This record gives sequence, structure tokens and C-alpha cells, in this order.
Amino acid sequence: MNTKTLLRNALLLAVLAIPLLPFAGDYLLHVLTLIMVYMVLAMGLNVVPGLCGMLDLGFVGFYGVGAYTCGLLTMNYELSLWLILPIAALNGAVWGILRGAPTLRLTGDYFAIVTFGFSELVVLFLTNEIWLTRGPLGLPGIAPASIDLSWLSKAINPEWDWYWEFIGEKPYFYMAFVMVVGVFFMMRRIEDSRIGRAWFAIREDDLAAASAGIDVQIYKVIAYAVSAAIGAVAGSFLARWTMFLSPDMFKFWESFLVLCMIVLGGLGNMTGALLGSVVLIAMGELLREILPRLGMPAETRFIVYGLIMVLIMRFKPSGFLPKIADAALHNPIIVELRRSLKAKGVV
Amino acid sequence: MNASAPLLKVDGVSKQFGGLMALSEVSFEVLPGRITGLIGPNGAGKTTLFNCIAGVYTPTKGRLLFDAADGARRTNGFKPERMTALGIARTFQNIRLFSQLTVLDNVRIGRHCRTSQGLFGAIFRTAAQVAEERRIVDEAMRWLSFVGLEGKAFFQSSALSYGDQRRLEIARALATGPRLLLLDEPAAGMNPQETASLVGLIHAIMKEGVTVVLIEHDMKLVMSICEHLVVLDHGMKIAEGGPRDIRENPQVIEAYLGRGAAHA
Repeated sequence: MNTKTLLRNALLLAVLAIPLLPFAGDYLLHVLTLIMVYMVLAMGLNVVPGLCGMLDLGFVGFYGVGAYTCGLLTMNYELSLWLILPIAALNGAVWGILRGAPTLRLTGDYFAIVTFGFSELVVLFLTNEIWLTRGPLGLPGIAPASIDLSWLSKAINPEWDWYWEFIGEKPYFYMAFVMVVGVFFMMRRIEDSRIGRAWFAIREDDLAAASAGIDVQIYKVIAYAVSAAIGAVAGSFLARWTMFLSPDMFKFWESFLVLCMIVLGGLGNMTGALLGSVVLIAMGELLREILPRLGMPAETRFIVYGLIMVLIMRFKPSGFLPKIADAALHNPIIVELRRSLKAKGVV
Repeated sequence: MNASAPLLKVDGVSKQFGGLMALSEVSFEVLPGRITGLIGPNGAGKTTLFNCIAGVYTPTKGRLLFDAADGARRTNGFKPERMTALGIARTFQNIRLFSQLTVLDNVRIGRHCRTSQGLFGAIFRTAAQVAEERRIVDEAMRWLSFVGLEGKAFFQSSALSYGDQRRLEIARALATGPRLLLLDEPAAGMNPQETASLVGLIHAIMKEGVTVVLIEHDMKLVMSICEHLVVLDHGMKIAEGGPRDIRENPQVIEAYLGRGAAHA
């Protein structure tokens, strides 16, 4: 237990130190940041199929909603990213509820089809509503993120100007790091709460959940909202990081990739979602290098993803970290209970 | 509260599935503090009746009146979670546990309808949330030791023996704080030893002030613990009364053993 905490902290410090290393170029930092964006996406998606047990094939829709919310608010109103993040999360949640509420009675494949349809609708909207989104031309030249504390510094000393614009990969790397840690921390806490337990109950058996007093429909809607909000936050980050958006960044493949990540890591396990993101993005980058050398187009990597899914289903059907409701075991109340049961000799 | 006022009144309840009349005009009363048994041959409509009472099905006709803590009310068409909140808990004929969760978590989920913390409390672990979580754990452990599963609190629930799974389902149902507990074939698949301890458990539940209604095929068990029996056959109530009357009722014997058996 203690060594585990030590190891985790060491790993976090090591990740934080990466940008300071001499060989850490823009490319490496870019890939690592990309991994972290997918970590956030994977944790967000995990709420619906992982915690609630509903297959969601259209998660990228909320990523797109968040990205365009941020892109448009930046270009048209020059809002600060820090203000946009909560707005985008809220907008994502609203769309999550709008998608979820009419489909509450759908289960299994039927629900999956609707989610798939939703994400296609988002792409169609972004492509065709040119007056708003500029269509296939996309949104170029979105301002980078910045931290503007000049109002505070000027108040203290008129000479000071606390204003930093995010230039290069380093600041985004750190911001993504904070985002991943924040979302992970939040999700682990939600997972180990009355709401998280209600979700797991729905995942395991929805009739038994209802009989235990859980309003299944309300808790599904909460899951859709939370999941979509996290997707939208990742989208907002993407907008200010890549500074360019176009509808084809939010195609079905992205949903599939994120779904692969959580299946690989273990549905319903947040650490698994992180692991899945690292594996698939790192592998994607390797394949991008390797495949052209073998005379194949880089897009053939999707075949490799498919192959991986087949292998996982065959050899590790519940993913690498299949344990669910893991956070609960580390809750101080539960740790204390375990200790007292052991002391009493009951366990 | 008037002790003799019925806790649950089933009044002319019918349930039709397409052309099939699963229940027709069934009426009976469950008095508080009296163990009621619901018996009848396979396919008689016992589980359908449970599902109507617990809110899984809405009766096609008739009234269900439940004496909840805040007064009697008609509960036709209430959803299962609402019935649980009002004070009717149930177990299932084919055990339905949250099988990948721990034994403790199964029972903690039973406390859901008696607790209230939301997202904000969960994320920020407010003092109120932590206090509530502590109460949930205490309550869950109380019910686990009540059914004798305290020592297996951290087992995955699917790893329990069949008899223990039945007990866990009862603990989860009790954790919802019911006034009425519906047990659907609690002794099914149990060995004689487990059945004997189930009898003790049911009496202990009654002592907690929870009234039990049970569906059961084990006639020895039914006759030994039920004070009142309702017999269903082909969706109709064919008899009602004390165990002795039911044992000698010709219609009941006929339903179980066939025509002619009663005169043999």
C-alpha cells in the first residue's frame, strides 16, 4: 500500500520532469499531451459504458461540441479559456442530457445506434452550418491559451504585468497534466460515492437497482451529463492547443479509438482508461512511422487497432484492469472498517 | 397506528398479458406482524403478484393499498424505486445481486433511497457527505451481521455460496428500511441446514418490526412459519386461511395433486 503510493508519486514527478529533459523535443511533448487529452476522453467515456453499462458509440460528438464551443467563443468573443471551460462543460452536459433523455428506454444495441447517430449529426452540423462553423474550411487561427492576471498585478504595482501566453508545447503539457490529475481525482471520488454505487448497480442489474430504490432513469441522465461534460472539457483544450478545428477531426473513428482504450484498460476502471490511452496512442505513433516503411498507408493502423480488439476479446475479455469499484476500497472509512474487522477476528 | 389495520391490501387485482390472464381478481390482506405465505402450483401467478405489489408491473385492474409510514395510499402504477422508498422491499426468485461488487457494496446500495448526497458532496467530500457515508457503512454492516455475513463483507458477491447469496439479497432488501418484505422462494436451492437457519432469520426479521410475505414451495417451511396462507391457482385465489385449514382444504389438494386426489 505504502510502496504503491510512493511509486505513484514518483511516477507523477517523473512525468512532470519530462519537459525539462534535454531530449524532450516538441514532438515528444506533443505526443505526450495528446495521450493526456485521450486520457481525459477515456475517463469521460468510461462513465457511460464502464460505470453504467450502456454502450456509447458516439462519444466524439461531445468532444466536438466542446471544441467548437471553445473555438467559436474564442474567435467571436475573445473569451478567456478559463471562462470557456465551465461554459463548454455545461454545454456538453446539456447535449448529453438532450441525447440521453429521449433514449432512456433504449438499451443495448438500440442505445448504441442512437449514440452513433448523434455523433454523425454533430459532424453533419459542423460541416453544413457554414454561417456558424465555416463548414469544411474549419476554424483556423484560434488564439492560444493564456493566463492573464494583469488586473491583479496592476492593482498591486502598476509596473507589473502578469500575463503569459501559452507558447510551444510545454505549457499545454502542464495544463493537460493538471487536467488529467483533476479529472482522475474527481472520477475516483464520484465512483466511490452514492452516485457511483448507483451507476455500478445499474450496470450490474437494472431491475435489482430499481428494487434497491435507485431511480435508474435519473442516474443514467446524470451519467450522460457527467460523461459529456468531461468530453467537452477535453474538446475545449484541443481547440486552444491545436488552434485549428475542422469537422473531420470528430469522425466516428475517434469514438471507436476511445472505446478501444477503455475496453483495453478494463471497462469501469479509471486507471485502466489511463493505461489504454497510453498504449493505443503510443502504438498509433509507432505505426505511423513503421507502416509507411512497409509500403502501407498510415491509415492501415486502424486494422491493427481492430486486430488488438480481437486479441483482447480472445485473451483478456475484461481488459487489463478488470476490477470495478476499486476506489471504494481505498476510502478511509472502508480501510478503517477492514482494520477493525481484522482486529475483531471476523475476517 | 392501529395494530389490526392491514399493512397491505390487495383488492381485486388482475393482470393480463395479451390474451393471458396471469392474475384475476385476487384480494387479500397482509396484517402487520403476521407472516403471510403465498403458495400455489408453478405458473399460478405468485411472482406476477409480487411484481405488481413491488411496482414492476401495473395491475390491469384492481387496487393496491399500502400503509406507508406517512399514511395509507393507493400504489397502483408506482415504479419499483418509489415502492422501495415507501417501504416495500423484495428479493428475487432467481437471485439478482450486483455480482461484480463486494458484499458490503451490495448492501450499501440498499441504503440509496434513505440517503441524499449528490455530485457536489461526492467531489468535495464535504463533512456532511463523509458523515453520511459513515452512516451507510454502519447500517450496512449492521444488516450484514444480522444475516451472518459480517465476515464476508469484502468478498465479491458472486463468490458466495448459494445460501449466502440468498442471505445477502435479504440484507440488501432490509437495508432499504422496509415495513414489508417480499421474499420470493427464499429457500429454493438451500440444503436442510440452510433452510433451518432461514426460519430463524425470518423470525428475527419479524422481531425487527418488518412484516414478511413469502412465496415458497417447501411446504414444511411454509406450514411451520406462516400464520396465514393465500393459495393461488391459475391466477385465482382458491383459498385463504391458517396452515391447518389450508392443509385440509379440498380445493388446495386438488390444485396440487389433481382432480380426485381430494376424495381419495
